[in-house]
Amino acid sequence: MIQAESVISDQMAEAIRLLDDAPWTGGVDEAIEAALTALDVAGLAVTLATPETGMEPVVCSGEAARRFEDLQFTVGEGPGVDALRSGTLVLVADLTEERAGCWPLLRGEVLGLRLRSVFCFPMTLGAIRIGVLSAIRPTASRLTWQQLDDALALAAALTHWYLTRTASAIDRTGPLPLTQSLGHAEIHQATGMVSVQLRLPLAQALQALRAHAYGQSRPVTDLAHDIVTRRLRLPSTGDDTPPSVTDKD
Amino acid sequence: MPREQQLSQIFLDVADTLVADFDIIEFLQRFTENCARLLGVDAAGILLADEEGHLRLLAASDENTRLLEVFATQHEQGPCVDCYHSGLTRLDIDLTDPDTTHAWPQFATAAQKIGYTTTNAFPLRLRESVIGALGLFQNVPAPLGEEDLLLAQALADMATIGILQQRTLAHSEVERSQLQYALTSRIILEQVKGILAERWGTSVDDAFTALRAYARSHHHRLTQLALDITTGRFDTAHIPRPAPPAQQ
Repeated sequence: MIQAESVISDQMAEAIRLLDDAPWTGGVDEAIEAALTALDVAGLAVTLATPETGMEPVVCSGEAARRFEDLQFTVGEGPGVDALRSGTLVLVADLTEERAGCWPLLRGEVLGLRLRSVFCFPMTLGAIRIGVLSAIRPTASRLTWQQLDDALALAAALTHWYLTRTASAIDRTGPLPLTQSLGHAEIHQATGMVSVQLRLPLAQALQALRAHAYGQSRPVTDLAHDIVTRRLRLPSTGDDTPPSVTDKD
Repeated sequence: MPREQQLSQIFLDVADTLVADFDIIEFLQRFTENCARLLGVDAAGILLADEEGHLRLLAASDENTRLLEVFATQHEQGPCVDCYHSGLTRLDIDLTDPDTTHAWPQFATAAQKIGYTTTNAFPLRLRESVIGALGLFQNVPAPLGEEDLLLAQALADMATIGILQQRTLAHSEVERSQLQYALTSRIILEQVKGILAERWGTSVDDAFTALRAYARSHHHRLTQLALDITTGRFDTAHIPRPAPPAQQ
């Protein structure tokens, strides 16, 4: 029987709902805890990329996950670093069997941790790279297709969560759903245009777009259309707060 | 070009997906252009399901933003969505029929607005699953012949092969990773269209045409070039700037 792939599990849907419902970072912790069961993993970690500090773990569930995140960003190599740099999934079924030459420093250190498999999901929106979601297990294993979809959905939800809630100037506007709009080419085109107009990284340009749409109570797709067709140009905010997320690696 | 020759060209393109220096979006754009030509339809597009089962456009035979928006309305509704969920081909859907406009108001309106009267959808099949759909549009109703139907499904299957780069037959996780990267690539491309349009003072569509021409003639992979533009590693002054739009 032929059927459509890609439906996230009820457990992961619940985890994502916890995230979407909570305005503050407590929601991330709750969502991550709930996601452990959905993914059947021992630990989960969210590490953000910031221009000031580089890679910074912000949420870790489980001691092994915390130590692993610290480790890979101390030695500067590992599957999470690669996932962020390449923008692709890095899935390691068995860390002890990796190809020679792959993360030699990390593999030397990781033997002391209860950790055999690790799965890293970049938190990206096109060229915008926010961070990476990592999942670990104590034994050699793989993720099922369902778990892959669940993890991808969680990474996407976290990406939107951080994109819509982190920038200082934008916090006041509160959460605004973006997910339904992201299939529209014009949102991304407008993001690119605004990034040039206001000399902002793409992540901040998208936030500016959102904030403006929110301020005017207009759908972000409408605003994007006006920008792409040059009926509208966003005013410069004059806000020189350093960006909190980066689109560069 | 005779049909056999066009088909051979498609086979060669699909074979090219096996080499390392391959760009999924570039491949699918050529592929959809060839699909439209071979099947005698006015537009073709490839939609891929994301992890939540929403369809997203990967490439279309014409990068006109208005056409992209027609495909975007099939995020959750439209014949491609039906085709994706059922695994069944949807043929000769009359976009002017009130039943159609009632079932999929946004989609039907957007498609009619740019002159399409008929649409068809073919599933992208992967073993027992469906991963997306091939959508075809026509300006005048003209049912596809039996031979064209077979060809269209074969082309949809080839698109799946191209997306998954057949060399990695093995693993579902590799497949999932490639599907995901294809979706990311598409967004990078849109962001870069905006960056270039603003730098050059042109439309996003013209900016894209110039970018693609440059990538093709200099053998750059389109997605990598786009990514290098967003990070500033590539200086866009190298790309011949398209002519400014004529003053009306």
